[in-house]
Formats: sequence, structure tokens, C-alpha cells
Amino acid sequence: MIRGYFYQPNSSRVQESTARLSDSRVAIYAGDECVYETTPEALSVSAHLPGQASELIFADGARFVPLDTRYRWPFQRRNSALLARLESNLALIVCALVATPVLLYVLLFKLVPTIAVTAVQAMPEAVVEQMGQQSMVLIEQTVLSPSELSGDQQQAVRDLWHETLSQLGLSTDKYRIDLYRSDHFGANAFALPHGQVVVTDELALRLTEHPGALRAILLHEIGHVERMHSVRLASQAAVASIAIAMLVGDMDIVAEVVLGSGSALMDLQFSQNMEWEADNYALQQLERLGYSGEDFAQALESLALLDEEQAQSWLKYLSTHPSVQQRIEHAKNYASSP
Amino acid sequence: MDSTSTPAAAQSGSQPPPSQLRFTGSGKEYFGIWIINMLLTLLTLGIYSAWATVRNKQYFYGHTVLDGHRFDYLATPMQILKGRLLAVGLFVIYSVVSSYFPLVGALMAFALALLVPWMINQGLKFSMRMTRYRNIRFAFKGRYGEAMVNFVVLPFFSIFTLYLLMPWVLKRIDAYIHSNIRYGDKPVQVQLEGKEYYAAALLVMLLGILVMMLLVLVFSLAGDININPGELASGNMGMLLIFPLYLFVISALQGIYQALIRNHILNNAQIEDVAEFKSNLEPQRYALILATNAAAIVLTAGLAFPWAKVRKVQALAEATQVVVLPGADQVLDTAQQADSSFAEEAANVFDVDISLT
Repeated sequence: MIRGYFYQPNSSRVQESTARLSDSRVAIYAGDECVYETTPEALSVSAHLPGQASELIFADGARFVPLDTRYRWPFQRRNSALLARLESNLALIVCALVATPVLLYVLLFKLVPTIAVTAVQAMPEAVVEQMGQQSMVLIEQTVLSPSELSGDQQQAVRDLWHETLSQLGLSTDKYRIDLYRSDHFGANAFALPHGQVVVTDELALRLTEHPGALRAILLHEIGHVERMHSVRLASQAAVASIAIAMLVGDMDIVAEVVLGSGSALMDLQFSQNMEWEADNYALQQLERLGYSGEDFAQALESLALLDEEQAQSWLKYLSTHPSVQQRIEHAKNYASSP
Repeated sequence: MDSTSTPAAAQSGSQPPPSQLRFTGSGKEYFGIWIINMLLTLLTLGIYSAWATVRNKQYFYGHTVLDGHRFDYLATPMQILKGRLLAVGLFVIYSVVSSYFPLVGALMAFALALLVPWMINQGLKFSMRMTRYRNIRFAFKGRYGEAMVNFVVLPFFSIFTLYLLMPWVLKRIDAYIHSNIRYGDKPVQVQLEGKEYYAAALLVMLLGILVMMLLVLVFSLAGDININPGELASGNMGMLLIFPLYLFVISALQGIYQALIRNHILNNAQIEDVAEFKSNLEPQRYALILATNAAAIVLTAGLAFPWAKVRKVQALAEATQVVVLPGADQVLDTAQQADSSFAEEAANVFDVDISLT
């Protein structure tokens, strides 16, 4: 005799009752009156959860819940309690404690970037073109204004650009350069995925005396385009946010913050690697075309001087560019070693 | 005390004594469920998350006991999975479009705003229908138009009032959600007061400003003490401290606001002839619980999450009493009877929880 509650179908009515099991029948009694009778085959038993009674669910929706939360029915299928057994298995819990962070790392730092790179390779040219043009429209309207350099100064940059392109054998249809004034970017250059490179007035002015240094920077930007870095960043961000949304599922806001900052760190690491890749591209091409890696080091040095005047020191740690000093050293070493 | 609904209590004429809501789960048990959920979710690349959600909810619902009867969570993992795949599909399309075609993405965000009220209603409908107490399911009857006004239009306009309207909008949102809930065939009735929302918002804002001023003071004092020019470490230490401190303060403020609002809603809600609710959650106690929970989660890199969640749910249950009225025995489940009709079957195609969380 098992004491419990009998819940009638589609109604809030509850009866205190007892369940009696015989060879092939289950009967529910309220007092001495039998209120329900059925066979074990015609009912189901609820999923087993730690600390909770396992209830009988009858065909018409009526239910019987035992008072004793530890009581288990003799006809209950063994595998219905499999999860509950796993969840209270100490050895497995310890394994899970070790495996979960490892899996999390592999997923976010290995699998997601791999998927992102695969997605990039399957990307049609037209999509990359659209992506670049639309981003440019947004950037142009928000932080760029027309160049204020003289015609001669602009022509000098363009000549250098065309010379570099023809040396590299790259298409002038795909690659184009534009000069803009921008207070937001300061002395800077950036590349859009479809091959448009933007150089700010301030940067061009700063490097008028050092065309070699400007060429090195242009090569760095071409490196970003050739290796499809912005497309990779975008697809990385998309894949990562999906992965995180799936994982966070039932967690609280705090867990979201923790995982969210993990993903921001991942983006940071990813884009730092890209800077190194673009640096190496520039250094390789400089060497191939018979220039020196010193040009690139010089360009970085003149920008670093500017950096020190403006940026607060701790901000550098969070910057998307690796430490400038490291990059200068890298460029110099690259020049000396074959 | 074993409190069960007995006919004798119902016949006594005056109101029966309130029953205490109890949470019978434990952090230790839940830790096992949580870590295995995480492991299986990672191993299956997220597919198991649907099963994990169901298991989590079943654990928390089933351990919430009122008047001797537990709550039930009824959704099946497949329903959750279907909804999640749909949501992920939408999300993939949106994030791909917005990162590759920023202009089209902006247009799409606008179109999604039109979908928001429908998705909110759908989510509430689903979670209510999947909640059962004493063989009666809850239901949600909100309409698209009202959801549009409360969740999209009014919050948007409150921006132009410098958010002065926001507490009133929040009151409308809570009123909309709660007055559209049904327990079987019985509607929930709420009478909410805008002034309670303004009082809570004002208190939390003042406290927030006060704490911020205190923190600035402490940090500038600490900065004065160690005057080491060119010392990078102190700057970094400050950054490392600010983040957990920020989380701690935000959680505490959240706790105060939530406790005040929860008390106000529950103390002014009833299901006629079926139940009346009482909530006496102390704001400062709840704030302390949420803040220390956040701190524990951060300090243990997430491992304290199960303990923290159980602790929070226990505090909420402890502060809640329900007066079960005689009519509680006569509630009928209308939804289940209508379930057999063809119209409901068709509607069931979309009977999924369309949300990522």
C-alpha cells in the first residue's frame, strides 16, 4: 500500500488515497472505495528527478503522486532513472568538472574559428563586395570627411599606391585607395574587405618624407584584404554569438556577463593574430620587392611616438593591435634574418 | 507542519490560514544536474541544451510545493528544440545579414521590432501552458495589439520623456502580463499602483548615485595613498576590482527593486475564489542574497551557480504565502478540453518556445 494524492483529469480536485499493487493491476483507493484501476502497461511513470516522487500518469490524464519521495515503482523501466543516476555519480561529476572548461575552450577558441574560416572560404565574391561597400557607406557618413590635402600631396600617395600594386601584380579594378580627413581615426589607415584602402590626411602628412614607410603601411592593409580578415572577423562574431546563445541557455545574467567577456577576449585575440598576419604579409612583400623591413619598423615608430602623446598606458592592453614595441622588434628582426 | 487542503478548513466560514510556499530542492542535488547538463550540452554542440532546460525546469518546478502539492513543468525537449532551432535560424539570418550587409541589417532590425510583441506573447503562452498545479494548467491570453503598445510603443516614447515615463510603462507591462494569466478557467486579477513603481525606481536611483559617490571617494583615497608614478600595476588592479564591484552593486540594486515590485504585485493579485497571494520579501535581505550570489559566482568562476540559484529560489519561496480558498477544488482545465479541436492542432505547429534562453 502506497499513500499519496490522486489527481482527477482536467480538474483541480485532489483525493488523499492509497495505491495497491497486485500481480498485473494497479488500483487507487480513496478510503475503501476504488476510484481507479488499470494495468501497468496502460500508464506511464514520470521522469526520475533527484528528491522528487515518481508519479503515475494514467491514460485519461489522471495522476497518482506518492507521498514518499523515495518510493520507486516495481514496473518502472530502469533506463528512466539513467540521467538521475549520472547526475548523482560523484566520479562523473568530478570528470565533468575537469572536462567542461576544456570543452568550453576547445569550442570557443578552436572550433568556432575553424567554422568561421570555412564559412569565409565558401563566401561568394559578390557578398564580399556588398559587405565592403555597405560598411563604407556607414563609415563615410559617420566619421569621415573629404580630404583637405593639396592635389600634389594626394597624387603622391596615389602614385605610390599604383606603383606598389603593379609591383605586386594586383588588379587595379579590385584595389583602390581613398584619402579622407578624420578626427575619429587620427593618423591611420584601414582596409575594407572588397579591396578599398582608406588613408587619413594626418597619416599621409606624417609620412610625406618617408614614402617607404607609407608603402609598408599600404602593404599591411593589402595583407588584411588578401587574407580576408574583416570577413573572417564578421563570420567569427556571428558563429561565436550563436554558440554562446546556445550555451548560456538557462544561466543567469551573471553567467552571461562572464561568458560575454570571454567572447570579447576571443575577438581580441583573433584580431591580434590578424595584425601579426598582416605584418608578416607586409614584411614578406617588402623583402620580395627588394625593400627593407626597416621601412615598416620606421612607420610603426613614427606612429608609436604619436601614440605615446595621446593614449593612456593601460588602454594599450585592451587595444586590438599587439604592442607596438613588439611589432617594431619583429620587423627589425625580420629584416636581419633571411 | 503538513498543510493539506482539508474540507474542514474550507467550511469554517472565515478565510482559511495561508499556506507557506516551500522549496524542497538542495544545492548539492542541483549541482549534479547542472554540471552534467553543461557537459552533455558541450559534447552534443548545444543539441542537449533542450533536454537540459527541461530537466532544470522540472527540478525547480517539482521542488516547489504549495499546500502539499507540487508544481509540474510539462514541456518536452522536442518542443524546446524545435523552438530553439527556429530562433537560431532567425538569429543566424539576422546576424549574417547585419554583419555582411549592414544597411539591410538595419532595415531588418526594424522588421524584427514588429515581430517582438508576437514573440513575447508566444513565449508567455508557452511557459504558462507548460506550468501545471493540481492537474490544472496555466494559460496566457494576451493580444498582439496590447503587447505592441506595452513592449514597443510606450518604451520608445518614454525615451523622449527622458525615461520619466518608464516606471509607469513598467507598471503597465507587469499589469498586462499578470492580468492575462489564467489558472484553468479562472483569470488572475491584479490592481497595480504607478506610485509604487516610481517610489521603487527613485529609491534605487538615489541609492545607486550614493554608492557611486562612495566608490569614487574610496578609489581616489586609495589612489592618493600609493603615489607611484609610472606604476602600471595599480591601474590594472583598479580595473580588476571595478568589474566585480560593479556586478555586486548592480545585483544589490536589482534585488531591492525586484523585492519591492514583487511584494507589490503579489500582495495585490488574486484568483477570485481560488487563491490570494502574500509576499513579504525584505528588500535589504534579498539585495544581500543577490549581491553575495553574484560575488560567489564570479569568485568561483561559475561553480557556485547551482548553490546561488537554489539559495535565491529558497528565499523567494520563504517569503511567499498563498491563501487557498474553497473554490480551488472547482477549477476546470479549459485548455486541455479544447486541445482536441482541429484549430488547436493547427496552432500547435507554432506551439514552441521561440526564444534562445
